[in-house]
Amino acid sequence: MRSAFEIIAAIIVALAAMFMLPRILELFALINATVYVSMAVLALSLALVWGFGGILCFGQAAFFGLGGYAYAVAAINFADTTLAVPVALAVPALVAAALGYVMFFGRISDVYMGAITLTLTLILFNFVNSTAGDQWRIGAAPLGGFNGIPATPPLNFPGDPGNPLPPETIFLVAVFALLLCYILAKLTLRSRFGRICVAIRENERRAELLGYDVRFYKLGIFTLGAAMAGLAGMLFANCVFVSPTMFSLFYSGQIIIWVMVGGLGTLIGPVIGAILLNLLTTWAGTLPDINPSLILGVVLVLAVLMVPKGVLPSLTGGLGRLRPGSGAR
Amino acid sequence: MTPLLATEHLTMRFGGVVAVDDVSFTVNAGELRCLIGPNGAGKSTLFKCLTGQLRPSAGRILWRGRDITGWDSFAIARLGIGIKTQVPSLFDGLSVLESVRLALRRETRERARIQAMATLDRLGIADLALRQVALLAHGQRQLVEFAMVVAPEPEIIILDEPTAGMSAEETARAARLIRELNAQHAIIVVEHDMKFIRAIAKTVTVLHQGRVLIEDDVERVLADRRVHDVYLGKAVAPQQQVTV
Amino acid sequence: MDIFLAVGFQVLSGIATLFITSLGLAIIFGMMRVINLAHGEFLMLGAYAAILSARAGLNIWLAMLVVAPLVVGVIGLIVERLIIRRLYGRMIDTMLATWGLSLALIGAVTMIFGNTVAGFSAPLGSFAIGGFTASAYALFLIFAAIFMLFGVWIVLRFTSAGLIARGTMQNAEMAAALGVAPERVYAVTFAAGSALSGLAGALIAPFSGVVPTMGTSYIAKAFITVITGGAAMLAGTFSASFLLGAVSTFGTFATTPVFGEVMMLAVAIVLLRLLPQGITGRFFRRAL
Repeated sequence: MRSAFEIIAAIIVALAAMFMLPRILELFALINATVYVSMAVLALSLALVWGFGGILCFGQAAFFGLGGYAYAVAAINFADTTLAVPVALAVPALVAAALGYVMFFGRISDVYMGAITLTLTLILFNFVNSTAGDQWRIGAAPLGGFNGIPATPPLNFPGDPGNPLPPETIFLVAVFALLLCYILAKLTLRSRFGRICVAIRENERRAELLGYDVRFYKLGIFTLGAAMAGLAGMLFANCVFVSPTMFSLFYSGQIIIWVMVGGLGTLIGPVIGAILLNLLTTWAGTLPDINPSLILGVVLVLAVLMVPKGVLPSLTGGLGRLRPGSGAR
Repeated sequence: MTPLLATEHLTMRFGGVVAVDDVSFTVNAGELRCLIGPNGAGKSTLFKCLTGQLRPSAGRILWRGRDITGWDSFAIARLGIGIKTQVPSLFDGLSVLESVRLALRRETRERARIQAMATLDRLGIADLALRQVALLAHGQRQLVEFAMVVAPEPEIIILDEPTAGMSAEETARAARLIRELNAQHAIIVVEHDMKFIRAIAKTVTVLHQGRVLIEDDVERVLADRRVHDVYLGKAVAPQQQVTV
Repeated sequence: MDIFLAVGFQVLSGIATLFITSLGLAIIFGMMRVINLAHGEFLMLGAYAAILSARAGLNIWLAMLVVAPLVVGVIGLIVERLIIRRLYGRMIDTMLATWGLSLALIGAVTMIFGNTVAGFSAPLGSFAIGGFTASAYALFLIFAAIFMLFGVWIVLRFTSAGLIARGTMQNAEMAAALGVAPERVYAVTFAAGSALSGLAGALIAPFSGVVPTMGTSYIAKAFITVITGGAAMLAGTFSASFLLGAVSTFGTFATTPVFGEVMMLAVAIVLLRLLPQGITGRFFRRAL
């Protein structure tokens, strides 16, 4: 019942945002808001993988970037974005499935998993950065190296390539996507699959001794999270354009921070954390001589040292995570 | 009759240390078997080999005559082998009922709930169903793990030191419980507490320095001179299995 | 013939660079089970320490070999005190906190020195291998790597400080019972590892250029080198540097530097699949 209530609340908030924000925000601010929403989707993806799957993924930015690039390249080649969207979900999901197969079936420990996912991100970053020049193109789409793909096309009405969506509509699409991801995540956690994932997070050995193939469930939630991160990358590509920074350590670090601050083991916390911290870094960016990286870094250090349970849950006194079953409901 | 579970020349080496050395034993359906031995006899290693947590260096493990050596834990559990570890291994973040429902892997949601409640009832902890596992006392945690192991009606249950950390009263209750469970399940108990063994056992296998020292009826084992010596720490033949 | 020598020299210098840039991380991980994700930024700070003191008129060798490790060692001491000490035994929290530190250091240095590449040209000139010229500084790096390997080994193996450190890492409670204060040992170990990172940063600076974000291009490689190496930190880091450095340098020759890195990662992942405990989980287990 509680989760039904939460889903209804989320729908109301999303509808309110879809109705209000385009009326009160200027176009530039609205595009920024769309970026924040895409970040919220990204935060949600890691909330699922790390907070509920217990998988220490330092490379969620890799799937974010892959989703963005897959979308841009597919959209340019198809000259229509209708099919580019599923491609943006599929490419990161496939990469995650392959990587996850090696990691989970190799029974690599947490720390090594963090290392491998982080390394993947850094190497993709270096790789994409090095793709300047005309020999680096996929079909009609030049990868553009350091500059990214400034010609990333915005979404068009499905099946109608001549009719791109205006930024206002893209904002609505983004909020709707966030809502959908949230509901999907909630339902996943309620399902048998989700409950088993939580059980594995709680005690992997025990789950295995009860007859569950832990590797399979981890692979499942890891792949789902990667697809969601790909969706976030697609949305991001629609407001800005794709560039190698999507793979950067700054981004992968940021995602971790949103989830840490929002609270590990909750879904809504990281979403709120992503939006608030983005507001904070944007504001910090307007200050002279303050580097957003410095602020984020200090926030992360303090979050780990002072409030390892997450800043938002501690503020709201929400010990929800400790209530029986709240993780699985 | 094919035995339910059997090992053939099972051996586990760690570097130069042979923790389990050429152990062959069989357990039949409905049997209650105790595996005992002093600390360092290789009980825990044998337990880990049987439950797929360690891959034996040599020898075979057979389930109804089928070779299951080196299988993963989950695959072994799926055969119908219930496993209870020494330190209660539980889902701290879940409630008691949710934990037991998870153990009922094959059942539908509703049937799992009913069966889980029935199991909790049988173990006398139905009142704890909605409590969070992390908040339970040690003895209660042991019972929750029992419930998780028993719920799916495994054909055999392997228990590693089930009375570790239990009070005398709880131990007596566990002994009763194990005898009750034995009516429906074959059971292997890995234990070193002799009093507890006396209370539950029919057939006892004694391990010493990784080898089977003696395997016989409980009374005869407990009367055996060598078993006493082993427990008192005297050197006994067969000996010197630790090669470096 | 000459080309083989020249390529061999390149490969050796690739291996040496990898070893130098991984050693600090390896020591801190091997001795304390702490993964210092700010390792790359410690390299960066070492490079800045060297370049700034050289610009201030200090002899370039003194700046690189003395000032850089000293400055970063002191920074390491402070970091240990403020952050690491509070998180012992919480491996993942330590990783997260040092990641935060890494971002903060990049931000702070960018604010102070700007996001521009500074650099100094490699001291020493070049020498000829037959028809090819090779940088004498690369040769120096190879010797520096060998020197660092044996230096650390000698300290750990033959000095009483090394013995205390090894004992504490084996069993902190026992060492405490013998009158050693584990906190001090950890602090000194972390500072020593940091100093080695600082030295490494200064040593690679002539090749890499000095920017606030330079650490990010080394941390990944150092990370997988240490993990591929496994438990024995010196033998492990050395063997993993050898293998991965060779793979990456050959990959770079065959294609581009980025593919060299990709191949290195691929080899590391395959190795971890085959040897989940790292190279020294299987081989050289008794080594340091």
